[in-house]
Amino acid sequence: MLIDHPLLGPRDAAEFVILGDAGLIDRPDWQAEDAARLFHDYQHLRDNPAGGHRELWFHEQGDRSWLVVTRNTVTHEIVKVELARDVAIARERDR
Amino acid sequence: MADPALAPRFPLGGYRRTIGGIALAEPAGLALVSAAVPQGGDEDFAAALAGGFGAVRPGTGDSTPGDRHAARVLGMQPDQVFILFEPPDPDRAAETVAAALGSSAYVTDQSDSWAMLTVAGAGVRAALERICPLDLADEAFPAGRVARTVMEYLAVIILRDGTDSFLLMSPRSSARSFLHAVELSVANASE
Amino acid sequence: MSGPFRLEGGAVDRSRSLSFCFDGRPMTGHPGDTLASALLAGGVRLVGRSFKYHRPRGVFTAGSEEPSALVELRSGAHREPNTRATVAELFDGLEAFSQNYRGSLRWDLLAANDLIAPFLSAGFYYKTFMWPKSFWERVYEPAIRASAGLGRLSGEADPDCYDKGFLHCDLLVIGAGPAGLAAALAAGRSGARVILADEDFVMGGRLNAETHEVDGRPGAAWAADAVRELASMERVRAMPRTTVIGAWDHGIYGALERRTDHLAAGGGKPRQILWRIYSRRAILAAGATERPIAFGANDRPGIMLAGAVRAYANRFAVGAGRRVGLFTNNDDGWRTAADLVARGVPVAAVIDVRDRAPVAEVPGARILMGSRVTTTRGRRGLKGVTLANGEKLALDCLAVSGGWNPNVHLTCHHGGRPVWRDGIAAFVPGADLPGGMAVAGAAGGAFTAAAALAGGHRAAVEALGALGLPAVAGDPPGAGDEASDGVPFWHVRESRGRAWLDLQNDVTVKDVVQSHGEGFRSVEHLKRYTTLGMATDQGKTANVAALAILAEQSGKSIAETGTTMFRPPYTPVPIGAFAGRSRGREFRPTRLTPSHDWAERRGAVFVDAGMWLRAQWFPRAGETHWRESVDREVRQTRGSVGICDVTTLGKIDIQGRDAQEFLNRIYSNGFATLAVGKVRYGLMLREDGIAYDDGTTARLGENHFVMTTTTVNAVPVFRNMEFARQCLWPGLDVHLISVTEQWAQFAVAGPNSRELLRKIVDPEHDISNEAFPFMACGEVGVRGGTPARLFRISFSGELAYEIAVPARYGEALMEALMAAGEAFDAVAYGTEALGVMRIEKGHAAANELNGQTTARMLGLQRMVSKKKDCIGNVLSERPELNREDGLKLMGFKPLDPEEQLAAGAHFLAPGAAAETANDEGWMTSVAYSPMLGTSIGLGFIRRGHARIGETVRAWDALRGADIPVEIVSPHFYDPEGGLLRG
Repeated sequence: MLIDHPLLGPRDAAEFVILGDAGLIDRPDWQAEDAARLFHDYQHLRDNPAGGHRELWFHEQGDRSWLVVTRNTVTHEIVKVELARDVAIARERDR
Repeated sequence: MADPALAPRFPLGGYRRTIGGIALAEPAGLALVSAAVPQGGDEDFAAALAGGFGAVRPGTGDSTPGDRHAARVLGMQPDQVFILFEPPDPDRAAETVAAALGSSAYVTDQSDSWAMLTVAGAGVRAALERICPLDLADEAFPAGRVARTVMEYLAVIILRDGTDSFLLMSPRSSARSFLHAVELSVANASE
Repeated sequence: MSGPFRLEGGAVDRSRSLSFCFDGRPMTGHPGDTLASALLAGGVRLVGRSFKYHRPRGVFTAGSEEPSALVELRSGAHREPNTRATVAELFDGLEAFSQNYRGSLRWDLLAANDLIAPFLSAGFYYKTFMWPKSFWERVYEPAIRASAGLGRLSGEADPDCYDKGFLHCDLLVIGAGPAGLAAALAAGRSGARVILADEDFVMGGRLNAETHEVDGRPGAAWAADAVRELASMERVRAMPRTTVIGAWDHGIYGALERRTDHLAAGGGKPRQILWRIYSRRAILAAGATERPIAFGANDRPGIMLAGAVRAYANRFAVGAGRRVGLFTNNDDGWRTAADLVARGVPVAAVIDVRDRAPVAEVPGARILMGSRVTTTRGRRGLKGVTLANGEKLALDCLAVSGGWNPNVHLTCHHGGRPVWRDGIAAFVPGADLPGGMAVAGAAGGAFTAAAALAGGHRAAVEALGALGLPAVAGDPPGAGDEASDGVPFWHVRESRGRAWLDLQNDVTVKDVVQSHGEGFRSVEHLKRYTTLGMATDQGKTANVAALAILAEQSGKSIAETGTTMFRPPYTPVPIGAFAGRSRGREFRPTRLTPSHDWAERRGAVFVDAGMWLRAQWFPRAGETHWRESVDREVRQTRGSVGICDVTTLGKIDIQGRDAQEFLNRIYSNGFATLAVGKVRYGLMLREDGIAYDDGTTARLGENHFVMTTTTVNAVPVFRNMEFARQCLWPGLDVHLISVTEQWAQFAVAGPNSRELLRKIVDPEHDISNEAFPFMACGEVGVRGGTPARLFRISFSGELAYEIAVPARYGEALMEALMAAGEAFDAVAYGTEALGVMRIEKGHAAANELNGQTTARMLGLQRMVSKKKDCIGNVLSERPELNREDGLKLMGFKPLDPEEQLAAGAHFLAPGAAAETANDEGWMTSVAYSPMLGTSIGLGFIRRGHARIGETVRAWDALRGADIPVEIVSPHFYDPEGGLLRG
């Protein structure tokens, strides 16, 4: 598979490690009322779509960027690749 | 009687060899120091880099020359560069960079972390295509381009520094495996 | 002239003669021959025995689709079984052997299988070998194993080396027949980066086997000119002898290039190269494969595909027989008759199933329209055929043509299904192609030379257009656009005797009918039940006819019946080619510590720790058992001083305004109060509350920290920290870089460690207990100013330090420490002694941090701060992880000090039955303690903290042990920690 890195262009997936669903960016607030349930869901509950999926990849053998890749799990077509840091900032994680 | 100073050893022991017209050599006397840019510190860093090394900050995947210490600045990550240069004192390479960049960067010595090997010659790309997944054609990887990738399970930083010349860097502890991988590629690709 | 069946002309080089051997018989051929063509030239027709029934078989085709002429090529360790003689390039000294017989090829004892054929039909093994039960292991299985398979492996290690490689191009053209050459020329002339690959050793595809003309010249000559022009283009890479084996994602193709298989000796160079080709666009111009018609006894040596018979005549100058017959359902087959006659090979009969006027005149041949072959005779070679009207004809070769199947295989590799096209009675690629792939020529169902040339040209121009590259391609080459009529005709109903479909797996028409009759009616079931299409040829000459017969049986159309699909590789690939250089010691890179050479010179025994080699112990002269060495290293370290290379532990440099806050969120314990010049032990949890790594972090400056991790977790910890930095808290100013390789680091442990270090560290640095207490750190100089870092931390429980220097000085520092240590009888110690000492001290390591255990279980619950957010904090409070009767890490001593404990033993109460319900925990780490004079262990046991002094059993059914042990504190040695702080 090729991942089109936003800064570096297409790179072989062999340079990367996959983590999983991009929802992992949205780590809950440890001081929330129902923190235990929120963290449980965050850690253990996943959708498993046959189709579009947003997932986190780490360019371990490259520039060490985390990327959010939007990929079709059936056809492997990759429609979007973003720097995960940009996605995280956009989701207001810069606390 | 003073106890003797510690003698340094180099990852490839000063290796030098020509195989099938391709010259392989471990370069001597180069330091490699990483400089990470603080958040919000891009302007200060660019100014310090210009002042301290006479270099323009490269984008990720590019390198730029400096006019001090024969430096070349490698764009390794969005917020981090490696500075490859000839240090006045090899034991104080990080201090030299820290003095030049001041508080504009977080500095870490990497001079001992990487085994370095230059490979040069007309057939160098034919040899490298045995282990390097990147496109090294002129239009895809011109002189000055730098990338970090994986070759035969080894992390390798590859810098094109001439028409038919590359500098390869791989973690020091696997230096022998790295040298063997490059030597074998050159041997296999030669007639 | 080599051989009685050699003709004039052809593309073989008669000026040179090549000697080869088949089954020990010396023969000759020419450069340009394949093994098959040279055998046929020499009149050898019996080439092998079939898989199941051991029927005599000969050459059937002239290509990689060959099902029958499988030989063992070469001898000794280089021997390769199941090599298709039709693609094996002849070289001087080639040795080949037929396969799959017992006795001799002519007199195969296992031909008896053919006599009991009715009992060996499709799926027979699902219905037999069941009774008596005891016979399975002792009789059936060994017998089946002995007769299984076709060729035999040499049993020796593969002596060849293989290589891998990476290529990039704008356009990959797969196949160098007319369509592929036209495409490559159009793209190459336009300046695109082109890779043209063909499995054959001469490019040109069918043009080399046929007598078509291109641009007014013989097709083979035009092809040779095209190859020359392409060779002159710098941006075109032509790769003959290269099979594109599969289409992977995003335009990545795998290709196997055979570099030395056509040479007598490889000269030490890689035999084959497995290329990974990154293409922006690809054109599949893989041509088509001819299919036969099934009739009774249609598998005899001498019965061949019609296209192959004329390929042997036109390209290899070999007559496949002296009285040749043609059996066809289409016009194309008649070309064989015409070409043979033109070359002086007598054609005795042309048998066409169609009721129509003859397609052409064939001098000297009987033309039999509307006729069919029902059976044949001639056990070891065709002697004659019988027609439907009962008439018998004497023939020594029958060329059969049932039509052509486009080679759609690569179009299926992404799940696309081929579709049936009635007009050509064949499957063509469906609409769902792998991204970036287009199909041209016969592979897409365009069977004429003109259509192939035009199609290839057009596909290249379109591909360049899609890439935004200019095309200066001109017009495609011109050729005849001869129509070729045909009718679908799959098998002769009046056949007498079994009619073969899959020659390699010995599957007949009767098997297909039987499969349907027994209820295996989908194509997927048909395939697996009969094994049709599952041999090394993937059923290339059998699949479509079988589907057609299945369709007949079900009363459905072929389109409705569908087809099975194909997976990579297109043709077999040696395992060695997939391995490449990753064999033996080179399987993975080896990482050596800075003191490795020193340790090797000292005779250290090494152990693999991931990719690292670490010294395990350092035997001295006279020591015969590892315990002697390890016990000595422990006693000596604890008694005086020992030195151990700990460079392999992960070291991460952390800097930034928010570095301290970042560490506070990563570690479970607090780091907000860590002062400059101090080190702190840290525990990391996974987000689910499980303990996952521990280490120490030193504060070297206001915004500068260095973290250590365990060796094995160095990479994952870095990865997880980068995730936290970039994705969870992108607003923090913190930067990470690995310095594991940068610093050589040594543990110096024992009561004399400070005195030893005083001889190494420069005198201006005060390392007294007051100036440099337990858990202090700092930058110092050694031996006249060489930069170093000193950390006062202890894994062993002794007064201890770790000293780090830039890795270039690592070996020199080890030598200096040992030289200075002579005065103290200093000892070098390895990973075993390191392990013994940490177990004596009760330190958790990988066995205890095994992914199931929590801080509470480790006795470290006070290290999980509730006053701050950190990874794992919330989920560590889950009730099940905090039970009063939960597991606790304790120490264990055998009641009898002579007993040897074992890790993995489970704890049971005295008298309790060994059942899961009574399982109280397990032993994690064990060592012989020289300090206590007994075996000791660490382990987890329910409510352990409340049970000190109690006796339980360490039960180990695997090793047959059941040892009474006392539960004790895990801190066996210096439990108060007095030594550490001295």
